[in-house]
Amino acid sequence: MKGRTIVITSGKGGVGKTTATANIGSALAMRGNRVVVIDTDIGLRNLDVIMGLENRIVYDLVNVVEGKCRLRQAMIQDRHKLELYLIPAAQTRDKDSINPAQLKALCAELEEEFDYILIDCPAGIEQGFKNAVSAAGEAVIVTTPEVSAIRDADRVIGLLEASGLHRPRLIINRISADMVKRGDMMGQKDVEALLSEEVIGLVPADERTVSAANRGVPAVHDSRSSAGAAFLRIAARIDGEDVPLKEIEARPGVFNRLRDIVGIKGRAYSHA
Amino acid sequence: MTDKGRRAVLITGRGTDIAFNLAEDAPLEQVARELDAQLDGQGVLFSKGGISVNTGNRSLSGDEEEEIRRIFREKSGLKIARFVSSDRQFLKEEERKVKEPPAPRNRSAATPLSQFSSADLARAISGISMQGQRNRDQAMIVRGTVRSGESVQHPGDLVVLGDVNPGSEVIADGDIVVLGALKGLPHAGASGDDKAAIIALDISSPRLRIGGCEAALPPSDDPPGRKQRKEDTGAGQPTIAYARRNAIYVSPFVGRFARYTKGVPYEG
Repeated sequence: MKGRTIVITSGKGGVGKTTATANIGSALAMRGNRVVVIDTDIGLRNLDVIMGLENRIVYDLVNVVEGKCRLRQAMIQDRHKLELYLIPAAQTRDKDSINPAQLKALCAELEEEFDYILIDCPAGIEQGFKNAVSAAGEAVIVTTPEVSAIRDADRVIGLLEASGLHRPRLIINRISADMVKRGDMMGQKDVEALLSEEVIGLVPADERTVSAANRGVPAVHDSRSSAGAAFLRIAARIDGEDVPLKEIEARPGVFNRLRDIVGIKGRAYSHA
Repeated sequence: MTDKGRRAVLITGRGTDIAFNLAEDAPLEQVARELDAQLDGQGVLFSKGGISVNTGNRSLSGDEEEEIRRIFREKSGLKIARFVSSDRQFLKEEERKVKEPPAPRNRSAATPLSQFSSADLARAISGISMQGQRNRDQAMIVRGTVRSGESVQHPGDLVVLGDVNPGSEVIADGDIVVLGALKGLPHAGASGDDKAAIIALDISSPRLRIGGCEAALPPSDDPPGRKQRKEDTGAGQPTIAYARRNAIYVSPFVGRFARYTKGVPYEG
């Protein structure tokens, strides 16, 4: 078996890389894939928290590359008993504790056994970024519809190209349909025009994502979460399924919901 | 005009290529003397790349050209790949595009200017960017988007087939042509040529530089979403930016360079 190693990156911090990694990883596993997610944000690890696995960490990524434990010992299985494993980052070390060659070797080993290896990249473009990118064969860039995030995504796309990773795919996180409709926020078309790369996912701003992350349960496990649904569709696209992009719908207000129930014609919220 | 202290021959290098720039106002005897002195015994040093002789606005007669070739031959064993003058350069490059693969090749004697230069032709090709002493080689073509943090520099003209995104810079000694939206920082005529121009399908750079001139766009109050929207609809049109009297002007680009004299200052 030859798995695919995908780095999830953004340049800018706080746009939702780790949340995206946890959700896409879970969604891919829910589709029956064998998945490993690797947290390369050494010194600032988060992926374990978002996946609710913090209390089970014994060994970490640095232990593995230093040969202090076997690879298997550092792999923590997901709480939902999916074929999903986390290799956590070390919290007490720094980004220089591993080098690109080590991560590359690690991923090559994992590719033999797993369908997907997702690398959660740290923010920034320094050593941690270089480590994370070196092992990957594909890249997914998470951005939000803000100029600063777009600018950083643009920079990262350039750096990825320079290191041989072409045609990264974009996830636009935290879109608010209302704001896009009013012209106060960039939409899919705008982001595509600015970055000239393919968008594979539009994730609506959804409060449930935050509470899900706080509980350590990725949003894809919550059937009522619109962001979770978006991540399920993204995973399907990554998995090679042809799922059309779904435009983000504005959340219906109380009045509109009432109108829907009563059955008055004319949808008040948009499919724009 | 040329005082004693000023050199009549200036040697510039670019990669392995070497250009001999002859001051246009120096008497030819002085040029010959200096060439003589400079080439003497230096042949080995120079022998790798293409050799071009830039005569600026001076047009050499066949005899004069032959004289310079002779000096090169006798003093250095270097072969002149081509003669470049601001008038002829365009034709030369056109010729090369048709006849030659990219690498500069030794050419036999250059076609005398008289065969080409009707006054019309000269005017047609020596608009804004063709006048003055330009020391350009071939154009460089960048296929794809120039992204934030990237810097593209080229000693000749520069053509980008894609957008130039914010946070990037494109620097050329010649003109800059962007077949896309220009939002990064361009510097045309970077070696000091105010006659260079910037042409793009849309220009919204925060700052433009041409030769020694610089202009800034005041910050916009548009919310980003709306602004992007506008750009998206193709509201931008092909635009040329050029320098006049130490200021940078922009104007819709509709044809030949030489026409552009009535643009508006680049400040939105």
